[in-house]
Amino acid sequence: MEEIIKGLHSAVLLIFSADKELYGIVGLSLAVSLSSVIISTFIGVPLGLLIGTYKFPFKNALIRIIYTMMSLPPVIAGLVVFLFIMRKGPLGSFGLSYTPTAMVIAQICLVMPIIIGLTYNIVKEKAPNVKKLGLTLGAGKLDSLILLIMEMKMGILAAVVTGIGRAISEVGAVMIVGGNIKGKTRVMTTYIAQLKSMGDYSTAIAVGIILLVIAFTINAVLYNFQQRGEI
Amino acid sequence: MDIIVEKLIKEYDKNRVLDINKLKIEKGSLCGIIGANGAGKSTFLNIVAGLEKQTSGRVFYGNSSNEEIPLDIMTMVFQRPYMLSTTVEKNISYPLKLRGWNAYSIENRVAQLCKELGLTHLMKRKSWKLSGGEVQKVALARALSFKPKLLLLDEPTANIDPKTTGEIELILKKINIDEGITVIIITHNLVQAKRLCHDVVFMNQGQIIEFGRTAEVLKNPKYELTKQFISGELII
Repeated sequence: MEEIIKGLHSAVLLIFSADKELYGIVGLSLAVSLSSVIISTFIGVPLGLLIGTYKFPFKNALIRIIYTMMSLPPVIAGLVVFLFIMRKGPLGSFGLSYTPTAMVIAQICLVMPIIIGLTYNIVKEKAPNVKKLGLTLGAGKLDSLILLIMEMKMGILAAVVTGIGRAISEVGAVMIVGGNIKGKTRVMTTYIAQLKSMGDYSTAIAVGIILLVIAFTINAVLYNFQQRGEI
Repeated sequence: MDIIVEKLIKEYDKNRVLDINKLKIEKGSLCGIIGANGAGKSTFLNIVAGLEKQTSGRVFYGNSSNEEIPLDIMTMVFQRPYMLSTTVEKNISYPLKLRGWNAYSIENRVAQLCKELGLTHLMKRKSWKLSGGEVQKVALARALSFKPKLLLLDEPTANIDPKTTGEIELILKKINIDEGITVIIITHNLVQAKRLCHDVVFMNQGQIIEFGRTAEVLKNPKYELTKQFISGELII
């Protein structure tokens, strides 16, 4: 207990100490996680929309694969991405090993299925009613599609929030492909894991608190939009 | 707008759910469709609305040569209408925006409809905060916003209180008389059919059993099935 209290005290001091290394780690964490979520949203939402709207062969199999990918263990995502980008791998020539780009790719593998899967669920739930409404009010195909997207915005927001939560909190994938290199690929989660193994609990608690505050702030802002029903 | 139906058949997996040989609902009519559950009423209305395709047969709109579904001058209100996730005002104005009305005309039309339907105090309210009866009135206002010539209603008052039901019936009568809108309404409520409809169609197992003036059909039904339905003895 004494260790925890001491850790909390040090954590508060550290947070307000303007430690450049710490803020660099926080910045990289945000950059990697938000980049992966933004890219996943731009690709995942249209894909979820297409899968939900159109019928095609093997659709059910694809949906099952997406649902499985939604709970993909981060270490597996990290391992697969690493095998592709390592020097001897098929994409080795791009020199992506142990770079923030590799970390973004690994997180996209984790976040994209969530965005696709949740978007698909919203489309499945909303599309029949919206389509029917559009038809009875004289909307054309394009108008109906725009209407569907507008009606999905709160659900998409929830998917994005879930994606951010997945990205910012995962450690396995970014550890494998990023390597937790100081000043280059070190992010909050990998830093916490390292600090714990070094026995530096106070810094680990400080970084943990910052991580929680960031997650809380992002969720609070988006939840506020959701409650107001407007974006 | 006249609605003329000829040899209309709808089958699901070779199971025939609708089989109407001939029916003409005249322009300006307020016509009720009655029948037990599974009689084919909703399927019929969905086909007229263009929401479902018939297996064979034809529906003519306006005259006996026009099979084109007039989506722009026809609309439908359901038992549980879907409300857009926005305010009452924006729900009602949506069909007008689709038709390119200018902001001033939209504002006037929405205000006029809200006044007529007693929705003025709800204009800024979010649709998910409305009661069942309010939802139904907003759906009706939205459907009427662009001044359709044909209004189809699938049990619009099935889940709402008698007061709101009465208000909706008054609105339907008013638009039918004042604006000449042809109204076709599915109802399970025979008293409502009697109060509201000039004509009534009685359907059973996908077929039209009887069609005529409401008072006449309900008072002196020609067929045994109609008699059984009216007396509550028809068991499917």
